[in-house]
Amino acid sequence: MSSNTAIYVRRRITNMVAMLLGGFATLLGLTFLVWILWVTVSNGISAITPTLFTKITAYGAQGGLSNAIVGSLIMDFTALLICAPIGVLAGTYLAEYANSSKLGATIRFLNDILLSAPSIVLGLFVYVIIVLPMSNMTHGAISFSGLAGSVALALIGLPVIVRTTDEMLQLVPGTLREAALSLGVPQWKLTMQVLIRAAGSGILTGILLALARLAGETAPLLFTAFGNNFMTLHPLDKMASLPVAIYQYTNDPNPAMHAIAWAGALLITMFVLALSLLTRLIFSRKKVSYE
Amino acid sequence: MNDLAAAVATPMANVEERTKIKVRDLHFYYNGFHALKGISMDVPEKQVTAIIGPSGCGKSTLLRIFNRIYAIYPKLEAKGQVELDGENILDPGYSMNRLRGKVGMVFQKPVPFPMTIFENVAYGIRHHEKLSKPDMSTRVEQALRSAALWDEVKDKLKQNALSLSGGQQQRLCIARAIALRPEVLLLDEPTSALDPIATSRIEQLVEELKSEYTIVIVTHNMQQAARVSDYTGFMYIGELIEFGNTEKIFTKPDRKQTEDYITGRFG
Amino acid sequence: MQVPSTEPLARNIDARSRADALHDRIFRRTLKFCALLVLAALVGAALSTLWGGREVLFGHGLHFLSSTAWNPVEDDYGALAPIFGTLVTSLIALVLAVPVSFGIALFLTEIAPAWLRGPVGAAIELLAGIPSIIYGMWGLFVFVPFMSRIEPALSATLGKIPLVGKLFQGPPLGLGLLTAGIVLAVMILPFISSVMREVFQTVPTRLKESAYALGSTTWEVLWDIVLPYTRSAVIGGIFLGLGRALGETMAVTFVLGNSYNITSSLLMPGTTISSSIANEFNEAVGTHRSALIALGFLLFVVTFIVLLIARLMLRQLAKREGR
Repeated sequence: MSSNTAIYVRRRITNMVAMLLGGFATLLGLTFLVWILWVTVSNGISAITPTLFTKITAYGAQGGLSNAIVGSLIMDFTALLICAPIGVLAGTYLAEYANSSKLGATIRFLNDILLSAPSIVLGLFVYVIIVLPMSNMTHGAISFSGLAGSVALALIGLPVIVRTTDEMLQLVPGTLREAALSLGVPQWKLTMQVLIRAAGSGILTGILLALARLAGETAPLLFTAFGNNFMTLHPLDKMASLPVAIYQYTNDPNPAMHAIAWAGALLITMFVLALSLLTRLIFSRKKVSYE
Repeated sequence: MNDLAAAVATPMANVEERTKIKVRDLHFYYNGFHALKGISMDVPEKQVTAIIGPSGCGKSTLLRIFNRIYAIYPKLEAKGQVELDGENILDPGYSMNRLRGKVGMVFQKPVPFPMTIFENVAYGIRHHEKLSKPDMSTRVEQALRSAALWDEVKDKLKQNALSLSGGQQQRLCIARAIALRPEVLLLDEPTSALDPIATSRIEQLVEELKSEYTIVIVTHNMQQAARVSDYTGFMYIGELIEFGNTEKIFTKPDRKQTEDYITGRFG
Repeated sequence: MQVPSTEPLARNIDARSRADALHDRIFRRTLKFCALLVLAALVGAALSTLWGGREVLFGHGLHFLSSTAWNPVEDDYGALAPIFGTLVTSLIALVLAVPVSFGIALFLTEIAPAWLRGPVGAAIELLAGIPSIIYGMWGLFVFVPFMSRIEPALSATLGKIPLVGKLFQGPPLGLGLLTAGIVLAVMILPFISSVMREVFQTVPTRLKESAYALGSTTWEVLWDIVLPYTRSAVIGGIFLGLGRALGETMAVTFVLGNSYNITSSLLMPGTTISSSIANEFNEAVGTHRSALIALGFLLFVVTFIVLLIARLMLRQLAKREGR
């Protein structure tokens, strides 16, 4: 009898300890989140000044990040222009044409791998296929470029869009396809005008998620867009970007440069977190419309 | 010539019906499974034909052959003859556009497209005909009126179709199908997802539509078949057990299996 | 009142059918082409780094893989130190992140009241949304000083244990393999915990309920029922985190100290494949550059294999669920 009680007590204590540790682990995770965000906000906010948006990086500690902000905007949206159509079409192929085929399964599988492939290697890839050949063709006149940076970023965003498009289209009820086809509408019209619209907000979520991901990337830009201390809008010039500017300023021994780096860090973090909040909002609204 | 014959015929009640769809020795296979086994039947023009039977008997499969919607899935195969106005629609040379223009279909669950109410009806028309804006509006209105939906939606044509109630959505789907001016309307358990009031609206609508369209309705609800149809076919495990006048099927069926089903002894 | 011939000439309809069929074919090919681009991106990444690193990979071959030298002046390159650093930091990250992720998943699926699960889960996932450069900055400016205060205590306690003690002896620089591993752990935490959380939720309720009915505690249900049921997917999730850790650049490059060392102490500076590439690429020319691209190729191959295993493991559970 008493030994039974002992077992019972021991089991309960084990359980209590496990529950406590679970709560502690969660608290630990949240602590890091708050810590990182707090450090970013407190250091960044004091460094956000008007000059940050008006002056270029060439002035160093007396300058701002305007060229980096513009460069980032240009490259992020060019990247999106490249990867959004390709990603949506590729995802559509997987969901609509290759749902049960071997090729479809292979591509879906490899897309998932591309999703977590090291971004620095994708940067090297673009360096070898775009930057090097460009430099060879123009005898060094054009080498690193905003365009190459955009392509590298597009590779980061592509698998995100492919995957969400694929998943969202699979949620569209099959009867919608039958209904359109029974009106004699051809498959391509059905796909472009009915299905993609039905999965619209889900696909948009994917595109925004891709933007959030590629906007924070530094590694793939280092040897594709390189960086530039002056303002440029030309896609074949070396182009500055916020993450690369932050990287350079952080490596600088001058604390005044660090302050600017923190300001840039705050800008990027706000942008990325706002995007992911926005996607959550869109997605939670989406659920009411179908089914 | 036809008009003359019609004019002569009109005064007389109950002329001999013309066959719209003639099915002969139809077999259907999916993934090798023999789902329909030698179906033969004549669907009369401008009448309501109901197909009943327990679930899995192949009634929906049969319906889905009439507009070849099954062909969008791989590994499905139909053999035999299904003649629409004397031409075999299973013939690969029979144009899909022609078939889908002539044979409309409404599905079990209402599936409005993610567009406005107006666009839902206009969408199919656009693919078949080029109409001017006013012509299109007239056409959409006609279709919505025929589907007994016009009065309820005329002030919100620009609203998203998903904002309609289930019953309204289903009538919108009917409007969408008849907007193409088909000759045959296939209804695949059109009321199974609806409440009783919406159901009776649809049944009433079927009654009205049969003056213009040949209607084939698949239903698991025997009362519904009895209420709306002129002819009824009873199917069981891939075979058409009995086909005939609805009144006869429901009062004195020839076959024992039919009688068992009708009286609720199985299914 | 027959509507006058709604059917245009049959020939027109057939022509349109043919046009539709043609458009459908073109459409399908376009989609397929785009899907193949995904494949091309992966194959291209492998082939281009293989090509870019050919001089070192094929010219120096085994020496590159087995040497600890990294000497741009004499053009002598060995990948061992960066490989060592990559593996060690990732391993530290896993050792720390797996139990914590497990705890978080436990909390979010079994302990937390329903109203708390959504917000806390979302907050943990926010960690995954923070750009890696921010982790790097936080690591360098905040966490490194923090660690340099902690490290003397570590050396004084853990450093005294026989065998493992060596790992924790060394100068309290703050920088180093341990610090990088911890930063990586925080980074991969949300990935592993969200996979665990998702797969824990796939366990059929009846399975859990029948265990509870026998008087099992929450912990026993998790450990004896849920974990065995989801084992392959949990391992998949861990490998997914490992894949992330191996390839991460920005979070580690600031806090590693970047020296080509292979040491027994985790408190010593080191380097990883990705941070070597990031730090040196733009100043490198000739063989040096080739060596860095060759490192990239190695990284790609290793992460590819790890991620392949991860996806295969994750798929096993998905398959069982489908049935």
